[in-house]
Amino acid sequence: MSQPRRFTETALILAWRNLHNFYTSPALIIPALLFPLFFFTAFAGGLSNVENVPGFDFPNGYTAFQFGFVLMQSAAFGGVFTGFGIARDFESGFSRRIMLATPHRTAMLAGYAISSFVRAVVVGAMLFAIALAVGMDYSGGVLDTVGLVALALGVNMLALLFASGVAFRFRTIQAGPLMQTPVFMVLFLTPVYVPQALLHGWIESVAAVNPLTFVIESGRSFIAGVPEELLLAFGFGAVAALVLAIWSLTGLRKAEQAGG
Amino acid sequence: MSESSPTTSTTSDASIRAEGLVKQFKDGPRAVDGIDLEVAPGEIYGFLGPNGAGKSTTVLMLTTLLPITDGRASVGGFDVATQGSHVRATIGAALQEAALDPNLTAVEHMRLQTALQGIAKADRKRLGDDLIERVGLSDAADRKAGTYSGGMRRRLDLALSLVHRPRILFLDEPTTGLDPQSRTALWEEVARLAREDGTTIFLTTQYLEEADQLADRVGIIDGGKIVAEGTPAALKSEIGLPAVEILPADPGDHERVIDVLRANCSYDESQQTGNGTVSGRLREGTGLTEIVRALDAAGLKVANLAVHAPTLDDVFLAKTGRKLEGAGDDEEQDEHDHDGHHH
Repeated sequence: MSQPRRFTETALILAWRNLHNFYTSPALIIPALLFPLFFFTAFAGGLSNVENVPGFDFPNGYTAFQFGFVLMQSAAFGGVFTGFGIARDFESGFSRRIMLATPHRTAMLAGYAISSFVRAVVVGAMLFAIALAVGMDYSGGVLDTVGLVALALGVNMLALLFASGVAFRFRTIQAGPLMQTPVFMVLFLTPVYVPQALLHGWIESVAAVNPLTFVIESGRSFIAGVPEELLLAFGFGAVAALVLAIWSLTGLRKAEQAGG
Repeated sequence: MSESSPTTSTTSDASIRAEGLVKQFKDGPRAVDGIDLEVAPGEIYGFLGPNGAGKSTTVLMLTTLLPITDGRASVGGFDVATQGSHVRATIGAALQEAALDPNLTAVEHMRLQTALQGIAKADRKRLGDDLIERVGLSDAADRKAGTYSGGMRRRLDLALSLVHRPRILFLDEPTTGLDPQSRTALWEEVARLAREDGTTIFLTTQYLEEADQLADRVGIIDGGKIVAEGTPAALKSEIGLPAVEILPADPGDHERVIDVLRANCSYDESQQTGNGTVSGRLREGTGLTEIVRALDAAGLKVANLAVHAPTLDDVFLAKTGRKLEGAGDDEEQDEHDHDGHHH
């Protein structure tokens, strides 16, 4: 079997195993589905009057405004939860089975990434369907939707690369907060509840320099059907992906050095 | 790191060879301290030692799971440090804790493992079913591994390590924690692998009986160093004749019993266990009868008197001054901490 084919087979079988566990374990799938739904319901429902605040200029209303954030948030947390799975595999010793059996250990990361993408797509699709069902005003066309999905998968990948780097270095589920907290903080230091123009004080300053703000705003612009800040959003994504890929792969090397 | 091609593999008749193998953990102990060993094709090599002796660390290095600090090693003719993927393709390994996914069934584990090992798709199902049957798990094949007993988990782990028909198999304490019946079943399977398939087996254990029964040759490791090596029979013969153990009926007679043993046996103060029993190794030409007569002549009564042939534990005691059973318990956590679980 050729090396690239072996790499692909390894990645696919590991993705199958991760997804099998995800979809057959209520403890994994229920929180993954309920978490974004809870945020969406709480934010879009509970704060719907925000759209009446002077200065709220998002044309598609508050539900669509919140959907833009919750979609990115669920994608990011999907990556983080996959990082939890990596840490669990190291803690239980299962990763040693993988490392012993495969000639390409980077295929491990590819396998986790594929499963993370599939999870993000499934959760995102469910969220999309529910948002439309509760009357979200979605103006994006096919290209906008493709752009929105690409952006969400990009966020999923960035979060996975970050979390996997932590998981490879610590190799214990006790490192979970180290994976989740930074992602949570970066996400919530963007214009979550109101447009950037309505932010005041330190949060306004932080959001203005937080590169994820461009990603969130870009996502919302796809929903409105008038894409904006694409260069900043995808440019940031590309640079961050490069940096975090190095972080993750050097983490994998550290895990190899430690014996898996 | 790029790897040398298989055509440039180390030429070696030995299946496993280590020369001056060292593992020094950062800010930690030297877990393996200059080990030399050679395992011939088809041989069962028992690596015997207490917890924390360096057994698992050695296995992790030989299976490419842990980098070598110093020295060199080859497995299946491939250099462990530079030809890791070729080594991994040659070996099977069932490590200390059966690395199973509790959410997968035996059949699903086989599906995963056969794919990871690059087995042709057409052969995967049949091979998996055959191995599951071989280790006696057919009835539980569709049950999640999380519901398995310790013995079943070990058997599945062993079966998984065999999917690519490895020439060399590493078993790290395969029977630890198993009940006697499961242990015997696993021993039979390991012996069959070597006998019928010609598989070279590197088996670590802390059980004397396991090493004695299974291994063609035994290496005894303590404190990261091999302190004795040879066939079980040869190692035991080094110890000499059987030993006699005497527990005086009156603890006050302890010294007088020692005098009797000194007169009739090879008595060594350092070999005493300190539990009230006095022991000495019989000399050539001296039998149990002479000892009993000498005790009787001295008017000594005994609570217990036993003779036992040399065991590997005696070998360990002779080489390290400690009994194997119970030795190293304090070091157990230490080695586990350095077997890849740095947190």
